[in-house]
Amino acid sequence: MTLLRVEKVSKHFGSLIAVNDVSMTVEPGELRAVIGPNGAGKTTFFNLISGFLTPTFGRVMFDGEDVTQLLPARRVWRGIARTFQITEVFPELTIRENLRIAVEVASGYRLRVWQSQDADGEVKARVVDLLEMSGLTEKADRLVGELAHGDQRATEIMMALALKPRLLLLDEPTAGMGDQETYDITQLIRKLHRDQKLTIVLIEHDMRVVFHLADRIMVLDQGKFLAEGTPQDIAANEAVQAAYLGKAAA
Amino acid sequence: MGAIDFNKRAANLLVWLLLGTMPYWMTAIGGYVELGSRAVVLGLGAMSLNFLLGYTGVLSFGHAAYFGLGAYGAGMMIRYVAPSTGLAIATGILVGTVAAAIIGPLIIRLRGVYFAMVTIAFGQVFYFIAFRWNAVTGGDDGLTGWTRLPIDLGFTQIDILHNPIAFYYLVLVLFAVAVGIMAFLLRSPFGRTLLAIRENERRARFLGIPVDRHIWISWIISCGFVSLAGALYALLNNFVDPRALYWTQSGDFVIMAVLGGMRSFWGPLLGAAIFVVLQDYLSSQTENWMSFLGLFFVLIVLFFPRGVLGIIRRKVTP
Amino acid sequence: MTQVVLFNIFNGLIVGAFYALMALGLSLILNLSGVINFAHGGFLAIGGYVAYTLIPYVGFWGALVLAPVLTAILGVLVERVLIRRLYGRDPLYSLLLTFGLAFIFEDGTRFIWGAQSLPFQVPGWLMAPLSSDYFFLTGYRLFMVLIVAIAVIGLFLILSYTKLGVRIRAGTLDLETVSVLGVNVRILRNMNFGMGVYLAGLAGVLAVGQLGLQPTIGSSLIMPSFVAIIVGGLGSLPGTLLGGFLIGVASGVTTVFFPSATEAVIYVMMAAVLMVRPRGLLGEEGRF
Repeated sequence: MTLLRVEKVSKHFGSLIAVNDVSMTVEPGELRAVIGPNGAGKTTFFNLISGFLTPTFGRVMFDGEDVTQLLPARRVWRGIARTFQITEVFPELTIRENLRIAVEVASGYRLRVWQSQDADGEVKARVVDLLEMSGLTEKADRLVGELAHGDQRATEIMMALALKPRLLLLDEPTAGMGDQETYDITQLIRKLHRDQKLTIVLIEHDMRVVFHLADRIMVLDQGKFLAEGTPQDIAANEAVQAAYLGKAAA
Repeated sequence: MGAIDFNKRAANLLVWLLLGTMPYWMTAIGGYVELGSRAVVLGLGAMSLNFLLGYTGVLSFGHAAYFGLGAYGAGMMIRYVAPSTGLAIATGILVGTVAAAIIGPLIIRLRGVYFAMVTIAFGQVFYFIAFRWNAVTGGDDGLTGWTRLPIDLGFTQIDILHNPIAFYYLVLVLFAVAVGIMAFLLRSPFGRTLLAIRENERRARFLGIPVDRHIWISWIISCGFVSLAGALYALLNNFVDPRALYWTQSGDFVIMAVLGGMRSFWGPLLGAAIFVVLQDYLSSQTENWMSFLGLFFVLIVLFFPRGVLGIIRRKVTP
Repeated sequence: MTQVVLFNIFNGLIVGAFYALMALGLSLILNLSGVINFAHGGFLAIGGYVAYTLIPYVGFWGALVLAPVLTAILGVLVERVLIRRLYGRDPLYSLLLTFGLAFIFEDGTRFIWGAQSLPFQVPGWLMAPLSSDYFFLTGYRLFMVLIVAIAVIGLFLILSYTKLGVRIRAGTLDLETVSVLGVNVRILRNMNFGMGVYLAGLAGVLAVGQLGLQPTIGSSLIMPSFVAIIVGGLGSLPGTLLGGFLIGVASGVTTVFFPSATEAVIYVMMAAVLMVRPRGLLGEEGRF
């Protein structure tokens, strides 16, 4: 059964058409990459799925239900979590506190003013799990704002994971990172995908990452659908090569 | 971690010790008990504002409205309905909180300077009602002809009217309850969602927190406690006038919070204490205390933006 | 009755013109620099007092030209010395700083010129009614509306056709890009602040001929200016203009039927507008 079905969505900003009649289906357990040259409309496309924007035309179906008009928080409740191109975390709190908030919200405790010892213990244990999974345990009690970019990004991904999403959207997870950090984040994503059987859609510029991770790739160009297929298909696709003008270092 | 916890406990102990013994040292250092009551009442107001300002990250510049409504609610209860201090306080809280709950939905979608501008403008409605509705509110002259009343506990009476120390302790008990509730809330999962909103609204939204609704709740809580402060302020003075509702009063609360330190729990109380003492001193020394107060605002912004406790904390934790 | 209503509508238009002039200046500064200038009313008062001081030497017309310019120079200095340091910091701080300045200005004018209302000489021929039926149509009132109209048209022309104006509008939309394109943002903000304060100073000179001159004139006009901005639409100058006239007329009309609600009515109007359009009548709708 298809998890995400995007049906012919378009987004207009005044006279600018950022996304033009794009469709996509994602199956459970899949890791899908969305690529395209700058200005291809990738992030706008993501925003339509996550609810940051609503499409001008078209529908977004998640798990068989129409979520096109739902607010971001409600989409999160249904199981769509995301990260941002520019890392969005809680900078003046520690990693542990960042994760704790995510776990509590995911557990439905967001309006609770009192918590039993048991519930509190469960939350803390889950936070420890997430820390271990991401290798952030040693830095758990440092303020996120003081950490390196890669650790902040890892924290953001783990916060999204804490929501127990059925679909994880990653917007350029390795943007602005050095080689080592890019490698670490790529390994983390691969681990989540393999071990947790998580369905992931990611936007990425770094073609090494894309070809290393993705099951299937969709290519956008100037807001329009250009191609879709396995990494091998895409690498061999002439239209894609033309769009990138050889810029994609495979 | 351990050291910070210890410091926090020591600080809490010190605050409660100082507050608990205030009537016994205040006169010794040249003050008077009413000045202490005033500092605690306005401190409660500033701490309530800070629940929203410092812990939810929402810039309200209109808290005087709910402070004033609390004050008028309490005063009018005694003046027109029932001679009971307890009922007066309850009415004050109710009036301020209900008004905040009603206005909330109109403003919670706004942010930053716009939120500030709209909250301050809304406050003016209540100011003009109090100012114009002479027959009921006493207009510009204020609501007079009433006093706070002794509290009847059945077996004994506490004369808070003639005994300023007894009144101070009544204020302190209510202060403790209010502050305790705020601290409790901030340590709960709900309180942490407020921190999340302050830290990064976009992230909070995409964790599944309905941000507008949580800001609304935080706004109501904050305004509820500030209206308690307003009710106590009316009882303290046995008088209310429209200035309690005026927008400059809102600015006073904000400067108290900033002066003491917005990011620390006790900061606004310290800020209020400094503000109250300074205002008391300036207005007795010079006709032009307003200029000095204005200068004080400017200097704080330029040189002490983190507030007194913010600076101390920076020195303690490098 | 018609005459009374007309009289009050006209009054409302004049008051609205003040609000609009004040609010346009506030809006300019708010849109480009994100600063709510609480001291705007203080600048207005200073404009009025400076004009009062200048009249014996340069006459009414000289004061009308000079006073707003001098006020603007003071504004430019204040921006340069104080407000500039706060850009990029939490908006809370510029709010508090201008709040303090408002106190200093009000108290300062009281200290220099005294607390009592001062007489303000407007040329006699301007004060005569133009028609005996419509006694309220004095030359001065028409003259004020004319000056406000000239100032507003001038402002919109500057913003549309001069290099400075185009940069200000571009900076309002996207300051970062403007700065990358090589525009000196510091100077831009400085000039823009000066323009905003100029409008306050001009409003001050006009207002004292109508409302009289006292230190509190600034703080009594600033709140309605906020309301004008909110009603008209955050971020929209035409909206601010519309908002100013709307609330002016609304309070004028209310004076006829329900005098004690004259001040409160504009806030009720604001609530009504916010209920329907959270970002004001001509404000742009944005979700975040």
